[in-house]
Amino acid sequence: MLNPETLVAVNVGLPAVSALALLALNKKGVRTAIVTVSVLSLVASALLLFESGGVAFTPGGIYGQFVIVLDFALLLYFLYVGFKVRSPQVVALGLTQLIPAAYFEFVVQGTHVSNVIVVDSLSILLTLIINIVGSVVILYALGYMNEHEHHLHLETSRQNRFFFYMMILLAAMNGLVYSNSLYWLYFFWEVTTLCCYELIRHDMSEEAQRNSVQALWMGLVGGVGFVAAMFIGYYNVHSIALTEIMAEPQSLMLAFSFIALAAFTKAAQFPWHSWLLGAMVAPTPVSALLHSSTMVNAGVYMLLRLAPSIKGTPLTAIISFGGAFTFMLTAVLAIRQRVSKRVLAYSTIGNLGLITLCIGVNTPLSYSAAVALLIFHSVAKGLLFMGAGVVENKIGSRNIEDWEGLLGRLPLTTTVMIVGMLSMFIPPFGMLLGKLVAVDAIASSPLYLSLPLIILVVIGSAATTFYYAKWIGYMTVTPNSLAKRRDELLDHTYKISLLGLLTIDVVISLGVAFIINNLILPITRNLYPIVITTPNFGINLGFTSFPIIALWGGSLAVIIIGALIAKVRGGAISPPYMGGANMPTNNETFRSTADSEVRVTLSGVFLDANIDEAFYNRLAVILGVIVTIALFVVEVL
Amino acid sequence: METLTIILASILTLAAPLIGGLLAGVDRKLTARMQERVGPPIIQPFYDVLKLWGKNPMISNNLQPVLAFSYFGFALLGAGMVAFQQDLLIVLFVMGVADICLTVAAINARSPYSYLGGRREFLAMLSYEPVMLLVYIAIFMVTGSFTIKGIYEFGRPLLLSLPLALISLEYVLVIEMKKSPYDVSGSGHAHQELVRGVFTEFSGYTMALVELGHWTKLATTLMILSLFWATNPIIGTAISLTMFITALLIDNIYPRLTWQKMLRNTWGVGFTLVLLNVAVLFLGGII
Repeated sequence: MLNPETLVAVNVGLPAVSALALLALNKKGVRTAIVTVSVLSLVASALLLFESGGVAFTPGGIYGQFVIVLDFALLLYFLYVGFKVRSPQVVALGLTQLIPAAYFEFVVQGTHVSNVIVVDSLSILLTLIINIVGSVVILYALGYMNEHEHHLHLETSRQNRFFFYMMILLAAMNGLVYSNSLYWLYFFWEVTTLCCYELIRHDMSEEAQRNSVQALWMGLVGGVGFVAAMFIGYYNVHSIALTEIMAEPQSLMLAFSFIALAAFTKAAQFPWHSWLLGAMVAPTPVSALLHSSTMVNAGVYMLLRLAPSIKGTPLTAIISFGGAFTFMLTAVLAIRQRVSKRVLAYSTIGNLGLITLCIGVNTPLSYSAAVALLIFHSVAKGLLFMGAGVVENKIGSRNIEDWEGLLGRLPLTTTVMIVGMLSMFIPPFGMLLGKLVAVDAIASSPLYLSLPLIILVVIGSAATTFYYAKWIGYMTVTPNSLAKRRDELLDHTYKISLLGLLTIDVVISLGVAFIINNLILPITRNLYPIVITTPNFGINLGFTSFPIIALWGGSLAVIIIGALIAKVRGGAISPPYMGGANMPTNNETFRSTADSEVRVTLSGVFLDANIDEAFYNRLAVILGVIVTIALFVVEVL
Repeated sequence: METLTIILASILTLAAPLIGGLLAGVDRKLTARMQERVGPPIIQPFYDVLKLWGKNPMISNNLQPVLAFSYFGFALLGAGMVAFQQDLLIVLFVMGVADICLTVAAINARSPYSYLGGRREFLAMLSYEPVMLLVYIAIFMVTGSFTIKGIYEFGRPLLLSLPLALISLEYVLVIEMKKSPYDVSGSGHAHQELVRGVFTEFSGYTMALVELGHWTKLATTLMILSLFWATNPIIGTAISLTMFITALLIDNIYPRLTWQKMLRNTWGVGFTLVLLNVAVLFLGGII
């Protein structure tokens, strides 16, 4: 049995080492072998860490110096990038970190922390998400990048660079959730910013360059937040250990505001959402990774760490409103989008908004809802992005207007997508349970909070149902009977990753009570005095219940009986009604004036005339800026 | 749970489609009388469904019958959740799944009329779902519970504390029954521009299943409305029947409106009424 210290080292060290190996060995076979071995080991070590439980220690040897050296190298690199791409934001934000960090390190010498690494149940949960979902996405990337580079007609493969940053991102994420020293946390945070920047610009197109710089400077804003928090923490309580800072809520509210700001930038809350929308220019596995198990989760993780310390303060109320605005407005904006990855991106931002809202409501119930949403969202969104990537490569379009009748053309991928989408918003899936508990928690809070929040949530939730349901409907349209069906030849890595994650998606929803009892409630119990308990085979909190067995049994029974009736009664497939003017030869055309044949074309519902996108975008930025200012104004008042 | 309760709840679940069917008969009779016609017998809808079931099967694709049954099946599951006094939010979402099944079946038939109806049905869901959710939250604020069991244990009639919330549910009921002025997605009779909307491509046994689903949904919604006087089932039933007959009256008085007006009115009036109701309760010190 490996001890937890070793497992922590494996979770951070192994992806870093295999990243270097992948960078050095740019050959397809070698790459497949390294990636396969690494991801299997990562999944195993995450599960073993879950088995062995938490730990707190300081790594001996030169690790401390190593982190410091790398951190300054990183900051200098950011400055170099800032000058190279002539971005005043990057240069300014880089300097605002470099100078104070150098002062802190060499003049104050305040980086000593008794336990640099603290692994608790929250860190373990995040590791499970990072390693399991992240591994599936990297496996998927093996197939995707081959196709991607095939389309780009590259002379030499640039996949070594791509997989290097993907693996480093996993390492940094794991390091981030284990770090108790703010300095280490800050370092890993900056590494995720670096990976994000490098992965977005991977294809080197003009748009990719532009969007990557945006992601970089927004990420650096978070870094500045950390440096500020570090200073405030050190000068007030003489410590930069997260555990000690979080234990001193009164004197450190300003530090918490800075950490919340950093979290908002990573979790893509308004007005910091544009980098995540821009990130979709990158190859799809990048989106799948950023949106599901890494990057945005770093922001949510910081908020989850922060929440218990700011309970009952105005700051937590502001965080909840920031999340609520984001949830509602992105759901409305998503209705308008035609690019598949953009719909999914808005959905990610919105769901992170809902999670942020729950964290801001800051009760044991809402906190549990936030953690549940985090888990289910990671899996479902990873699945949806991977599916969208396959569709894009197969039909050569990102426009969901071209997805008509996709179920007939790519049956397996589309089924996976449909189940993934359903798992985002309908019972009996876990995501809906999360939303339900979120509504419960919001409704239980004081009226001045609950009423405005709940209105934003009900509108956002109805709009979410709308944009997913219309999309699903459009995919299942009966395919043109005359069009030749394409063969859905899927790479093995596609099949394994899609079906693997789909299985996880369904299994965690089936076993949601186990997840709650063994993963979520231990976290909540650590942080809040009130104990929530629920039976292992159903959710029942007294005032609300979620009958898992009845819902799953009922849903499966409905589908099975429906399929049986369809089989027994069947029926001849007949053309649709077209006012009696159908053409006899074709199901999709009707006879028009002078016997001309006119084809019926369908288009999706986007409510272009009713949703003024520019207005909503402006509103998003304005509300976001107000929330950001309010994060700090409350501390001054 | 006691055996007797389980048996009674199961009977109530299975009776939901029958109650709905009878109400559909009442609907046709009353509407006929309002229009000075004699109207069909009350149990005419049952004859219709039996006849539909026996018709030669014709489908627009292989998914259609599965989805048609799912509409009925999920509505029945929702009715069961009500009969077994489960969480109101779950009932709402399960009913939403039933609606999505119907709408997806309408959309994937690739028929211009049912596609138009399907698009509008999504907008109908967008209109009433938030209002219903808001009413349930108001119920929670009064009773301290989201479950129907909690409403019974609350011990006092909800109508006395939430009269305005009940009025907002009249909008929901009209949309759910697909009655004028909000029958934009397809109504009981054919309309010029969309024929029968979402129902256009169903025929024979799939149409019978859709009718059953529609009845079940109606009965379930009325059961929920009767919870506004849960302490006395007779008064509760009277409330839901009044709401039902009001919907028929509105249907016969108003011409249909566009979906924009449906959305604007339902949200505008619904949100205002519920919020006003909650505000009054708060100021009165009740919650």
